Amino acid sequence: MTFQEFYQTIGGDYNEVLARLSSERLVQKFVLKFPLDGSYDLLCSALETGNREEAFRAAHTIKGICQNLGFTPLLTSSSSLAEALRSGEAVDTSALAEQVGEDYRQVITAIQALDV
Amino acid sequence: MSKQQQHKQKILVADDSEMNRLILTDMLGDEYEILEAENGLQAVEAIQKHADELSLILLDIVMPEMDGFGVLNIMEKNQWLESLPVIMISSESDAVHVKQAYEMGATDFISRPFDTLIVHRRVVNTILLYAKQKKLIELAVDQIYEKEHQNGLMIDVLSHIVEFRNGESGQHVRNVHVLTELLLKRLMEKTDRYPLSWADISLISTVSALHDIGKIAIDEAILNKPGKLTDEEFEVMKTHSLIGAQMLEQMTIYQDEPLIKVAYEICRWHHERYDGRGYPDGLKGDEIPISAQVVALADVYDAMTSERVYKRAMPHEDAIQFILEGKCGVFNPLVLECLTDIADGLREALVSSEGDEEAIRNIAEEMLHQKDLTDLEHSSYWNASQ
Repeated sequence: MTFQEFYQTIGGDYNEVLARLSSERLVQKFVLKFPLDGSYDLLCSALETGNREEAFRAAHTIKGICQNLGFTPLLTSSSSLAEALRSGEAVDTSALAEQVGEDYRQVITAIQALDV
Repeated sequence: MSKQQQHKQKILVADDSEMNRLILTDMLGDEYEILEAENGLQAVEAIQKHADELSLILLDIVMPEMDGFGVLNIMEKNQWLESLPVIMISSESDAVHVKQAYEMGATDFISRPFDTLIVHRRVVNTILLYAKQKKLIELAVDQIYEKEHQNGLMIDVLSHIVEFRNGESGQHVRNVHVLTELLLKRLMEKTDRYPLSWADISLISTVSALHDIGKIAIDEAILNKPGKLTDEEFEVMKTHSLIGAQMLEQMTIYQDEPLIKVAYEICRWHHERYDGRGYPDGLKGDEIPISAQVVALADVYDAMTSERVYKRAMPHEDAIQFILEGKCGVFNPLVLECLTDIADGLREALVSSEGDEEAIRNIAEEMLHQKDLTDLEHSSYWNASQ
C-alpha cells in the first residue's frame, strides 16, 4: 500500500498533510514513527488504574499528534475522549475510549501494510 | 558539536509528545539548534541553564509535572520574558488557553496542525523582533554612554584648567567626584530626608568638578602662595565661590538646566558651614543645599589628604579623625555619619577612580533600564527644592 492509499484507508487527506509538512520524506518518516509513540499505551494503563488526569494528557497528546499527521478519525475520537476527561468528573468514558482503540488499531494495521 | 552548529541560535522545544518535538525539530533543525524538554519542570531547568543562549521557546500548554502556564508564571517571576520570547503551541480547541497565554506574556502561538511554512515564519519573525529590540537597546546604551562620556570629559577638561592654574592635579577633581558619589549613595541608604533620585546623585557628582571654577578669577600670586594668606588675601580668596556662581548666572539661557542649577549651588555654597559661620552667605543647616554640603566635605577631605604648595598630605585616618572632631569645619552630622560609614573602603575607591569610564557605562545602562531618561528634567530633587 502506498502512503496515498494509506491515508484513503484511514480516512485522512494525504495531500493536505503533504502540503503542510511540505515534504514526502517527512510525512513518511512521521507516519512510520507513529506506532512507536507511547501515548496510547499510557492512555490504556491510565484508564485502567482510573488516573483520569494522566488519561486526559495521553488522549490530548494523541489528539495533537493526529492533528499534525492528519489521522482524522482518530483525531476526532481522541479529541472527544480528551474533552470528556478534561472536566475531571466521573462521567463514563468507556464508549469513547473504545472508539479511540478501534481507530488506533485501524491506523496501526494500515501502517503495517505500507510498502517501505 | 560542529563549528557551524556552535553559531546556530538555540530554540527550546517543550512538549510532552516526542512525536511533536520531532516534527518541530525536523522543521527547524537545519537553521536552529533545538533543545528539548518533556515537561514544564525540564523546561524551567533548561531555561535556567541556557537562559543567555536561548533565542526562543516553543511551549506546549498541556504537559505533565508542570504545564505551560506554570512555565510562563516562573518566567514572569524571574523576568525572563523580557528577553526571551515564548511561542505557545496549542490545539485549536484551546482558544481560551491561548488568550490566557497571551495575557501571561507569550509572544505568539502556533496551533496544531503544524504547517512547516507558518511555523517557520512565526519562529523567524519572533526571533528577529527580539533581536532587533536587543540591538536597539544596545545602540541606545552606546549612544547615551558616548554622550555621558563626552559631557564628563568636557567638565573634566574645564575643571582641570582651574586646577592647573591652582597648581593642583586633576586628581583632586576626580577624588571629589568619587567622594561625593559615595557620600550621597550612603546618605540615600540612611535617610529619606533629601529626596534625591538616582539621576540627581549622578548629576551632583559630575558637577562637583566645577566647585572651584571661580578660582580662575583669583590672582595667581594669592592662589599659589606657599605660605599662609594674610587676612586681606584670604578675603580675596574667599570671593571665588561667589565669582563661580556669578559666572554660571551669566549663562542666562541655561538657567533652567538642572546641571547649571546644581553647579550654581555647589560653586556658591561649598564653603558654607552647617553652624552658619561659613561664607559667602552664612547659610545654616539645611538652608545649604545638600549638594553643596556633601561636596564641601568631599573637598575638605581630599584637600587634607593631598599635598599642596603650602602643606604636606595628611594620612587618611588622621584626616577622618580631624573632620569628625570638628577641626576642619562644621558639617551636617548625617553627612559625617556617612563619611564614617564609607571610611574603610575610601582609599581603595579613590585609587581605583580610573575605573570611571566603566562607571559611566553602568550609569548609562542603568538609566536605560529604569527608563529613567527623563529623570534629569523631572528630577524629584529639583521639583522639591524649587
